[in-house]
Amino acid sequence: MVPLSFAGIGEYTIKSVRGGRGMRRRLISMGINEGDKIRVIKTAPGPIIIAKNSIRIGIGFGMARMIFVI
Amino acid sequence: MTESSNNKIAIVGNPNAGKSTVFNLLTGSNQVVGNWPGVTVERKEGKFVYGGIKNNIIDLPGIYSLSANSIDEKIARNFIVKDNPDLIVIVVDAVNLERNLYLVTQILELNRNVIIALNMMDSAESIGLEIDRNKLEGILNIKIVPMVANRGKGIDELKKAIIEYNDKSYDEFDIFKNDKINNSIKGIENLITPYIKNFPSRFAALRILEEDTDFLSLIIDKDIFKDIEEIKIDVENKIGEEIDTYIAEHRYGYIHGLYKECVEETIDVNERITLSDKIDKVLINRILGIPIFLFFLWLTFESVFKIGNPIAGVIDTIFGFLGDKSGILLAAIGSPEWIISLFKDGIIAGVGSVLVFFPNIFIMFLIFATLEDSGYMARAAFVMDKFMHKIGLHGKSFIPLILGFGCNVPAIMATRTLENDKDRIITILINPLMSCSARLPIYLMITGIFFKSNQGTIVFSLYLFGVVLAVVLGRLFKTLFFRHKAAPLIMELPPYRLPSLRTVFQGAWNRSKLFVKKAGTIIFIGVVIIWLLSYLPVGAPYAGEGSLINYVGRFIAPIFTPAGYGFWQASVALLFGIVAKEIVVGAFSTLFGGIDNLGHILPQYFTALSAYSFMLMSLIYFPCIATIGVIKQEAGMKWAMFVVVYSILLAYIVSILFYQIGNLFI
Repeated sequence: MVPLSFAGIGEYTIKSVRGGRGMRRRLISMGINEGDKIRVIKTAPGPIIIAKNSIRIGIGFGMARMIFVI
Repeated sequence: MTESSNNKIAIVGNPNAGKSTVFNLLTGSNQVVGNWPGVTVERKEGKFVYGGIKNNIIDLPGIYSLSANSIDEKIARNFIVKDNPDLIVIVVDAVNLERNLYLVTQILELNRNVIIALNMMDSAESIGLEIDRNKLEGILNIKIVPMVANRGKGIDELKKAIIEYNDKSYDEFDIFKNDKINNSIKGIENLITPYIKNFPSRFAALRILEEDTDFLSLIIDKDIFKDIEEIKIDVENKIGEEIDTYIAEHRYGYIHGLYKECVEETIDVNERITLSDKIDKVLINRILGIPIFLFFLWLTFESVFKIGNPIAGVIDTIFGFLGDKSGILLAAIGSPEWIISLFKDGIIAGVGSVLVFFPNIFIMFLIFATLEDSGYMARAAFVMDKFMHKIGLHGKSFIPLILGFGCNVPAIMATRTLENDKDRIITILINPLMSCSARLPIYLMITGIFFKSNQGTIVFSLYLFGVVLAVVLGRLFKTLFFRHKAAPLIMELPPYRLPSLRTVFQGAWNRSKLFVKKAGTIIFIGVVIIWLLSYLPVGAPYAGEGSLINYVGRFIAPIFTPAGYGFWQASVALLFGIVAKEIVVGAFSTLFGGIDNLGHILPQYFTALSAYSFMLMSLIYFPCIATIGVIKQEAGMKWAMFVVVYSILLAYIVSILFYQIGNLFI
């Protein structure tokens, strides 16, 4: 398991979203939840961009450190 | 359909689902742009008539859910519940249907009349999505109108659906009906019903379980509060996790099931690399990203000022001409002196000083709308985010701040691109510290006399100091006023698309009109006041010795002695800078008998030290009346007055400190 901020380009499953309840709920409302299969299409430095189906979401580096993927 | 012939309709939906396009299709050019009361979020309202029914449409901010986490969400849900729209149109992006359903189910829990505009059907088809509309309509029990809004398809069906919706006595939409936490939710509902007036109790109970601050603040009875807490702890023990994530996940599971039932994916969507992804490889590239952004920034800056300034110059000339001609005309029919001056130097100059900004503002809005609609603005925010974060600001603040080097008026209006109130207001508050081009003549005049050999360096030092102050104050204001409002950077990147020329133009036109109406009033009033101070008392030369403004200048002059320039001409010049900073140089030249004399006269009043101190004052002291006007328009009177106060205090302190400390070394 690795924080999203250190993930390379590739496919992952989201294992856990830390960083407070607000953040997890916000991600869910945007379509991303624990257990989802996602792709990382842009890595650090700078914001990470993940893809799920047709959704593209950019996550700031600080936040990406609280999302764990496998 | 309600009995009255006036329908109030709200349009809601995810960001980038095509809400604005649908809104524009419905209302045509019948739109009014403004702000939601008390906040900086843009509000659009429009009308359309169909089948004899008048419809008022409100475009609500784009949102992902109805929680209380952002001001956009609060505005949307408060409008739905308190303003009582007859119908809610949810614009849903068919390509991301599953995700859109999250918001849809929350809105359905409000037990209102709802229809869905299922937009972007063409894109959905092209990626192999087959949506069973009838099945979806059946399960959710609402009308669904498929559309391709950016090609105008489906608009007639939508208009028809809007006037034909049936006012039903709503079955409560409840996705927790058969869930194990159902009884706990019911328990909370019973406790809170006396306190929740406008919202359905199920909706309120769910929000309270999600720690929604707005709802929690309505429960004033401490005992009820405790009972609610007990139910919460009890249910969290039963389910083994935090209740709010459980609720969100349950909803997520529901919409997933619903999606799987009604949609067939004939292509594996998850594996797709889209055209937008390919473009992003270049535009958000680690190496190319920032240079590309700087290019667009430069393009924006050049367009707003290189194209806007000549047109503004034309408007300026026209109004000067109008002023002269009206003066001659009025004199010819024997009008008294004060009427002539009122018209020429007051009213016409006043209106001219507002309209002169129109070209720059309009072009700025055109460019910004293009950048936003095309989808690039979201990328730009990301490219700049890391850098801006280091100085405590948002990625999207960068462009408005840079525009401030040209002119603060379009720059502050450009902050509309910031979604977060806190970021927007801070960017507005520090914007005047980005030394605008109107202050440059002051630096040029003074450095040309006192710092001839290092003109460039000295002027640069002022710009740099302004930026440093902006960063420092930005952080200070953030801690002082917005400490509890941290927004994590999670932003959706919409697919790139060709912006609609009509939408872009219409938006720019409406927003520029708003500027003329709102900020324009303040600017006009300010100019007239300065005119009064210059003209009165009758008999004194206009703005010369004996006029009111001269008296005011002489009166306040002594307070600048510790800053090194306690002579009254400096104060009068600074006062004129309230109207426009460019006038300061003109004021000096008038007061000292001509611009050519300044070279040998000013050194009799300033030393190099006090001259720099005066430039510091010019850099920091309150912005021109036009800037104050837009601050009031975009952020409210309170913040506008705050800017006036803090800037004059800061300028005064800095100017004095510099002079006094400097004196110790010289």
